[in-house]
Amino acid sequence: MLLISDVHLGKVSHFRKHGIAVPENAFLANFRRLTEVADYFGAELICFLGDLFHSKKNKEWDIFCHWTQSRPEKILLVTGNHDILKPEAYAQARIIVTSEFVTDAFLFTHEPEIRENHFTFCGHIHPGVTLRGVGRQFMSLSCFYLEKQQLILPAFGEFTGKWIVEPQQHARIFALTPRNVVEITLLERNGR
Amino acid sequence: MNRNQLFSLAESWFASQNWTPFPFQKDTWTAFLQGRNGLLNAPTGSGKTYALWVPIILDYLKKAEGKKHKSGLKAIWITPLRALSVEIKQAAERLIEGLEVPFEVAIRSGDTSVSERAKQLKKMPDLLITTPESLQLLLATKGYENILKDCSAIVVDEWHELLGTKRGVQMELALSRMKTVCKNLRIWGISATIGNLEQARQVLLGPDSEAYHNSVLVKAVLHKKINVQSIIPEKMESYPWRGHMGFHLIGEVAKIIKESRTTLIFTNVRSACELWYQRLLDYEPDFAGEIAMHHGSIDRDVRIWVENAIRDEKLKAVVCTSSLDLGVDFAPVETIIQIGGPKGVARFMQRAGRSNHKPGKESLIYFLATHAIELVEASALKKAVEKSVVEDRIPYLNSWDVLVQYCNTLAVSDGFFPDDIFNEVKTTFCYQAMDRDHWQWILNFITKGSQSLQAYDEYKKVEIEADGRYKINKKSIATHHRMQIGTIVGDAVMQVKFMSGGFIGSIEEWFISKLKPGDVFQFAGKQLELYRVKNMQVLVKKASRKPTRFASWMGGRLALSAQMSELLRQELYGANHGKKSPELAAMEPIFKRQRKESIVPESTEFLIETFKTREGYHAIFYPFEGRFVHEALASLLAYRISLLEPITFSLAYNDYGFELLSDKEIDMQSVIDNDLFSTSYVHHDLQKSLNATEMARRKFRDIAVIAGLVFTGYPGKIVKAKHLQSSSQLLFEVFRDYEPDNLLLQQAYRETFEHQLEEGRLIQALERIQSQAIVWKACEKPTPFSFPIITDRLREKLSSESLAERIAKMTASYMKGI
Repeated sequence: MLLISDVHLGKVSHFRKHGIAVPENAFLANFRRLTEVADYFGAELICFLGDLFHSKKNKEWDIFCHWTQSRPEKILLVTGNHDILKPEAYAQARIIVTSEFVTDAFLFTHEPEIRENHFTFCGHIHPGVTLRGVGRQFMSLSCFYLEKQQLILPAFGEFTGKWIVEPQQHARIFALTPRNVVEITLLERNGR
Repeated sequence: MNRNQLFSLAESWFASQNWTPFPFQKDTWTAFLQGRNGLLNAPTGSGKTYALWVPIILDYLKKAEGKKHKSGLKAIWITPLRALSVEIKQAAERLIEGLEVPFEVAIRSGDTSVSERAKQLKKMPDLLITTPESLQLLLATKGYENILKDCSAIVVDEWHELLGTKRGVQMELALSRMKTVCKNLRIWGISATIGNLEQARQVLLGPDSEAYHNSVLVKAVLHKKINVQSIIPEKMESYPWRGHMGFHLIGEVAKIIKESRTTLIFTNVRSACELWYQRLLDYEPDFAGEIAMHHGSIDRDVRIWVENAIRDEKLKAVVCTSSLDLGVDFAPVETIIQIGGPKGVARFMQRAGRSNHKPGKESLIYFLATHAIELVEASALKKAVEKSVVEDRIPYLNSWDVLVQYCNTLAVSDGFFPDDIFNEVKTTFCYQAMDRDHWQWILNFITKGSQSLQAYDEYKKVEIEADGRYKINKKSIATHHRMQIGTIVGDAVMQVKFMSGGFIGSIEEWFISKLKPGDVFQFAGKQLELYRVKNMQVLVKKASRKPTRFASWMGGRLALSAQMSELLRQELYGANHGKKSPELAAMEPIFKRQRKESIVPESTEFLIETFKTREGYHAIFYPFEGRFVHEALASLLAYRISLLEPITFSLAYNDYGFELLSDKEIDMQSVIDNDLFSTSYVHHDLQKSLNATEMARRKFRDIAVIAGLVFTGYPGKIVKAKHLQSSSQLLFEVFRDYEPDNLLLQQAYRETFEHQLEEGRLIQALERIQSQAIVWKACEKPTPFSFPIITDRLREKLSSESLAERIAKMTASYMKGI
């Protein structure tokens, strides 16, 4: 199973439809990357963890339907707050829709949730982390945020932004770089 | 009536007011009545208003003689500050009454009610007082050509304030349209003294235009003596090394306030204004009710109250920011205190001029240096005032964001034909170098949202109609655009309101985002507890607890002008010799400390200091060229060093020097040996360094707002519009990654250095450094000179290390517990 969270397809077109000229190429990049990732893993099932589509239907959905038709995988969508399309639209894209999905001790949701005896995979918050270094250096990167009972996935889509998390003790953070995923060293913050 | 008859009408009215016209007023009347355009150089409070209202009325009397009065717009008066419009209106009304002209005068600005504005559109007043934004909005109104066609004069007041800003560019564009639409238009500007007055006239009228050739420059020669005093403490040891608020001198300030009729205390930023107000009350509780605060984010009614109270001599002192720089004659003001370096001579002189606002009287201004080294600035300022050195205001070139906005504006009202507008826009100073390709790019951008030929997506903004007219038809887009016109500065601001109702002022979103409900903060002189934030409104209640935070605002960091930097260097290089000004003499303990660890450089020396602290390895360079040049120099040098070895820098700068901070030691000897201050390839290297830093990202924010890429939402409907909101940061990244040749994106890079800084100034600085002997001091610890720089928080970074290398050296922090 391949997990993908917060693609926010259609956001670029949505902006453009309202007269805000975000570059068109940005959404093509989403599709390029989807294909690349799906081909690489060759999973049986692709599970979108919510916020697949940003808003009302626009042409990007048609392109997405073409894309799903071309894929051999089964496709499942755990709906998020942004997923407001009509059931027909999802049927057109041959997507199975559910509000959550449980298998064995694993829970798949859009929003983070701790449930007893389960481990959760989710998205929603677009986690990011701020790194600091000597010489007043800092930078922010998108990341996976892992706690004892849940893993929050970074947003997959272009033009989605990130929300900087304040890591809790014992959490682990894996930052995204253009090439790979790197675990970040966490230090206890000195009280001010 | 001939001109003599008209003049005698005006003069007898002047006599009835017990005034005599100044020569500059009569010169302006003459030129205007001869049908000429012009620029009037006159300071506030000199009678400049009547220099132009009078001939506008006289011209009407001449033309209307024997005819029936016809209603409709005759003249427009543009003021950059809404606050000034009431006074201008009153001046006009006084004259109209005196000369018995059947004129109606009205104000049209953001403060004018919707119903009033609608009424005006049906029946325009004869004289209209408005702001650059409201004039743009008028151009976004259906049938504007008809409204404007009989307008025969436009006066742009305080033109020096607009020149060098994008609001000035908006004016240039509006004027280019009006020259075509109005049948017989006279264009006049009024400007305080600036270095490039001649250029100011060109920008106003259009370089080499017919209007320019038929124009004059009238100068009001009014000499005013300015007395500059520094507030110097008796003991210098207690002076802080880095910039702060200057509270250690609060006693002196209180003393000055008590001894003077009314005192205006100018601070550079609004947060300092808030703090000083509070501290003065704490220090001298008797001041309660006698002092007030005035800055741009405070509710308008409060500001107007304060302004009136100053006039009526009800206040001993007002703590203010540049919000009180302009206009408004405050007779009771006797003394000015400037807190912190004003960074520009023109600004300082203007502020000084606010005191004893009568011709012939001496202006008194005190300068309070907030940190020791600022005293050098004080000393330099005195010289500048003596020699009447003033800065240039550099006009913008090729501001594509404003042009995009303007094209949308015309498309919203009656639509436009591109060829006509191209020819008009081309005559402006800002777009004189624009070619057909640029223009086509703009047209593609507003119609297709891109430059690609395929039109397969649903982009919608401006449509091309069958007859070739460019027009916005969709109502929501038109509304959105009209909303955006006023927001040429792009901070997300939120309204602060009492829960019980009552508007207090506006504050930037980032400040509120740091607060939690229940936190107490100070704003507009009040202690407020945050209740909650809803729909871009901050609901608060009065708090009895002491505030833990003071409202503050981003941006607004001023840089020393070229002229000031030059004077500053002269002062400083004189520190080792001869007769010193009282300020420099007072600084001797600091210089002593500096010499112990390092040197106070001579004019033949270029000082570099290096030292290590807990934060890393610091390298400080002292060109004394002003902040803008240092920004450029720091990036340039950081870039060149980063070519020698993989390294990451954090950059900081002030008006005296700049710092490159790194986690490893820079090989300074190789910096010197490799001649990294060379003037060769400056342009190329600067471009490269720009791409490596994030400066352009910040510039892009304003550009994105002006060009309508950042959706600020409709008032009252904020939540609904949320799905269209994105940060300009995010936009910057998509443009950079997917449309790098976008003109607006490129403009961000260009404006980063070009506007504030002609490349020439940078090259001159490098040439000067090359003629100096480099003195590299490896110090044990931070020196007094370095202190204000290394403690600066606002930083830029530049790196030639790979991301992986950098991440490996960095960490994130977690919160203990839970």
